[in-house]
Amino acid sequence: MHEYAVVDELIGALVPRLAEHPGRVRTVVVRKGELRILSDHALANAFEILARGTRLEGADLVLETVATVVSCTTCGYHGPAGRFGGEDDHFSIPVLSCPQCGADVHVDAGRELYVDHVTLSDDSPADG
Amino acid sequence: MHDVRFTGEDILARQLELAEANYRRLREKHVRSISVLGAIGSGKTTLVEQAIDRLQGQGLCVATIAADSAGDDDHRRFVARGAKSVNVNTQDDCHLDAHTVDHALDALPLDDVDVLFIENVGNLICPADFPLGADAEVVVISVTEGDDMVRKHPKIFAQTDFVVVNKVDLAVAVGVDPKRIVDDYSAVNPHGKLFLTSLRRGEGLDELLNALGLGCMSTQW
Repeated sequence: MHEYAVVDELIGALVPRLAEHPGRVRTVVVRKGELRILSDHALANAFEILARGTRLEGADLVLETVATVVSCTTCGYHGPAGRFGGEDDHFSIPVLSCPQCGADVHVDAGRELYVDHVTLSDDSPADG
Repeated sequence: MHDVRFTGEDILARQLELAEANYRRLREKHVRSISVLGAIGSGKTTLVEQAIDRLQGQGLCVATIAADSAGDDDHRRFVARGAKSVNVNTQDDCHLDAHTVDHALDALPLDDVDVLFIENVGNLICPADFPLGADAEVVVISVTEGDDMVRKHPKIFAQTDFVVVNKVDLAVAVGVDPKRIVDDYSAVNPHGKLFLTSLRRGEGLDELLNALGLGCMSTQW
């Protein structure tokens, strides 16, 4: 359940940055690379609980998954990573190897975890 | 309604900065550092014990950070082997973090230390998102956990370059074919290195230490 620690960091960093933006926080949109080992369900639960008593109380946490993109310095491939698992498994994951030539790759996308934006309505939290 | 956009700074940026600070600190002191993580009972502590013996035999000074939810059993095992050790209890936390490691480093004589092992809490999943600042990370599993460990935790293994599959001497007794683990790992991580070990017997340790650059280490590193 390390998701609580992640959400604790998120709230701790986000609340001060919203100080100059009045209004009620409706949604917090987080972009999560598919290589991060974090449960969406646990993140949502942690957010609901840890946001209580803060500016973020009652807001929805929206998680957007970022697919893995790799580039290969050997053959020049740049694009989606190959996959392991698939239709027979209900879970498929990116393989960090060039799908074209098999060489080691640089990960360009898939490891990110950041707040992309927050949507606020113009009413204040006190308006109910 | 209006949106406030952000610059894309990682939510765990503070943790990443602390991990980088640990990394720089250890580099400046010429300490090689290995983070060891993996499932409960897989053999993490035995691996570190055997490595302590081997590296001390080369005249190196070995330090350890022993993390567990509670108690100091592992810490005492490392001290008994002659390591400089710090005990860390994470209590209800399922993982070590870089901040805790930073404090543990304060209690170690880093000027004298050549190699540091950081043994994480027994947990295969949670520590993966919390870098500590070590030079290398080793994930330890054992055949007694079943031959489907890689398939059940593919994301961890896809991103782990050093994997130890321990207790291979028990594979027949528990009905596990280690080859399946090897094949699964090479499918999810074609560039990773996997070591089949019986650490209680010291088997497979040399290959791992060589791969980690600790084989015949000079104190001049």
